[in-house]
Amino acid sequence: MSKTYIIGASAIGAQPVFDRDAPERVVPYDTHPLNAIVPDLSRYIAPMKARRMTRLVRLGIMSGMNAMERAGVKVPGAIIVGTGDGCKHSTERFLTNMIEHDEQVPDPTAFIGSTHNSLAGQIALATGSNGYNYTYLARGLSFTSALADGLLHVQEGIRNVLVGGADVITADFVTTQKLSGLWKQRNVNNLEVLQSGDAGALAGEGSAFFVLDSEPAGKDPVEVVAAQMVFGEDDMEARVIGMLDMAGLAVGDVDLLVLGCNGDAVEDRAYASTQALFPRAAVAAYKHLTGEYYTANAQGAWFAWSALVNGGPPKECLLRAGSSGPIRTVLFHDRFQRKDNSLILLRK
Amino acid sequence: MHASPLPVHLNVQAPVHITGLGIVSALGNDVPDNLNALINERTGIGAISRLNTRHAATLPAAEVKYTNAELADLAELENPYAWTRTSLLGLNAVQEAIAQAGVDPAAARVGFISASTAGGMDSSEGMYGEFFTDPPGPSAKEWVATHDPGEHTERIAAELGITGFVTTISTACSSSANAIMLGARLIRAGKLDVVIAGGSDALSRYTVNGFNSLMILDHSLCRPFDRSRAGLNLGEAAAYVILESDAHLRSRNATSLGRVSGYANTNDAFHATASSPEGEGAYMAMSQALKVAELSPRGIDHINVHGTGTLNNDLSESRALIRLFGDRIPPFTSTKTFTGHTLAAAGAVEAIYALLAMHHGVLFANLRFEHPLVEVPIVPVLQTTHGRRIRHVLSSSFGFGGNNTSLVISAPL
Repeated sequence: MSKTYIIGASAIGAQPVFDRDAPERVVPYDTHPLNAIVPDLSRYIAPMKARRMTRLVRLGIMSGMNAMERAGVKVPGAIIVGTGDGCKHSTERFLTNMIEHDEQVPDPTAFIGSTHNSLAGQIALATGSNGYNYTYLARGLSFTSALADGLLHVQEGIRNVLVGGADVITADFVTTQKLSGLWKQRNVNNLEVLQSGDAGALAGEGSAFFVLDSEPAGKDPVEVVAAQMVFGEDDMEARVIGMLDMAGLAVGDVDLLVLGCNGDAVEDRAYASTQALFPRAAVAAYKHLTGEYYTANAQGAWFAWSALVNGGPPKECLLRAGSSGPIRTVLFHDRFQRKDNSLILLRK
Repeated sequence: MHASPLPVHLNVQAPVHITGLGIVSALGNDVPDNLNALINERTGIGAISRLNTRHAATLPAAEVKYTNAELADLAELENPYAWTRTSLLGLNAVQEAIAQAGVDPAAARVGFISASTAGGMDSSEGMYGEFFTDPPGPSAKEWVATHDPGEHTERIAAELGITGFVTTISTACSSSANAIMLGARLIRAGKLDVVIAGGSDALSRYTVNGFNSLMILDHSLCRPFDRSRAGLNLGEAAAYVILESDAHLRSRNATSLGRVSGYANTNDAFHATASSPEGEGAYMAMSQALKVAELSPRGIDHINVHGTGTLNNDLSESRALIRLFGDRIPPFTSTKTFTGHTLAAAGAVEAIYALLAMHHGVLFANLRFEHPLVEVPIVPVLQTTHGRRIRHVLSSSFGFGGNNTSLVISAPL
């Protein structure tokens, strides 16, 4: 079985992470949603084209093209995108227009823009890639589905597989998901949200892409040992042990545990059993920096990758210091809305 | 145009069996009803009667005749509250497929891959305003979380106790063909023993108005491959197949109904919604699926074409067929003349029809065909034809974003 390496990675989010191996600095926010810091689009997208693109496509193309540039890849062998609900701006525009005008004023631009696979299609157009082109809309499992599919592709012999996750925030989405209890009802400083003690998370948005290949190219290749989804279960202990077993690793081999804690006091308790398995590992979180959204775990995977490349995460991410020594193996456990568990194992 | 590398599968010979079928469409709420309507050339397309849209009188569609309450009853759902129509259609079809296969969905190494484009839109479009009033509408809290396409998959998975590989694909009109392709790849790679793969899409005002805004809906019944074609008719459906590994099938002495022997997904990289006029993407998907199936074009006995009835698709698909098969195009049918275009469900609906055609040795009719295209004069199956020996069927689904998928459905070994 061939191994799979991340040979290029790039993220966009509420922290200054674009085209970097680690956040430039950590930005505090007193209000949410935490909006993505959008880089200069002209590097990859002509201004005329950029104007016609939805925000999701802009963020996704920028991080996707940057990941490929960092990997030295021009045309990906496959493009696999995860997004919780795609181009929300277009969907909301079409829906509102349809309701307000009682189905009498057509808006083809918004309809086309709301097609859920438009980001993956636009990356194919931008790169001339005729290969496999998939889009997963699987809530908190969207990115992990894309990553698991990417691993399968590398096993099947496809080179330079682009996988990523992206979601955007809109005012309507902030309102509607407040109803479902996803967000905090109040503003909390993001650097203090993990200790907030009440329900809900801070809303966020962002994009992260990775180029996967069977050859460890580039200056800092990171191996993706495994990616697994577990739906609707609470206790990950057996799944985690099983995953480590399959990789020939023991609990003591994990140097850093990255958790998807988001400041929702109920939700965050679910990580306790995973954390208890690794008494010696360092423990880090990232959602206080990125905000919560369907594919926040794509940025989480970027933070895990970044910690391996840089020898550790930013100090603002650390929940618990580990025993000293280099960080070689990272286990990432993410959980979204009490049901969607992702387990990702990375190794340098 | 560079050539895409062909997948080098770990175990390309490993058969992927189909052991269960489940379908709810305008032709009926199970496989026998669908087969009966197909053989008797009884289309499911007609005037819109259930969906509350201002276009009901002018745009025909293929609706499932049951109300949501009736669909909940059919599925014997104990608590149908906040179940969207997409979830209800899906649950019924999944139940039928599981019952036929006799597999336990809650067992380990069982995956559930479902596809949808509209998801819970048919519910949320009706109560969208309630989400924003202060205070919000009484049922807003429960329904707001059913809007996204991934919700139906998790809803059905929770109902059936599936906890392993659970995911949702949304690649427009190729979505559930892609669900079947992913399921087949996971089984060939040895990752899963059983996969429930397919898709569900309820008709919604959103999709009716969306496709209408693109001016690709026919105001009469659709006429794929006919010179007079003027667009597609929409439909709603849910369809799932049970895919199973050879080892798992043998271990429980189950019967294989057929196999997924080939698959390919490629991208036009041409335009956001239109296919390349020369059918490049369709050609790539069909030819690569044949290669994975280790078949030459001569090995294909029948094609269930994408055949939407739009000016663009049928012309480009016809050109791709001629390029691949020359003057020996196998008998081909667009069953969208029966079901309408069921969007994310279409690939699984048509994979099931492909398997039924093979199993019963029957070619279904491409209804309402009269005059071939001027540019590419090819003629589909004109009426139900019995007594055919069909071993390998090609089934194609092409979607927005240049997303093209072809499956090869083959007879049991």
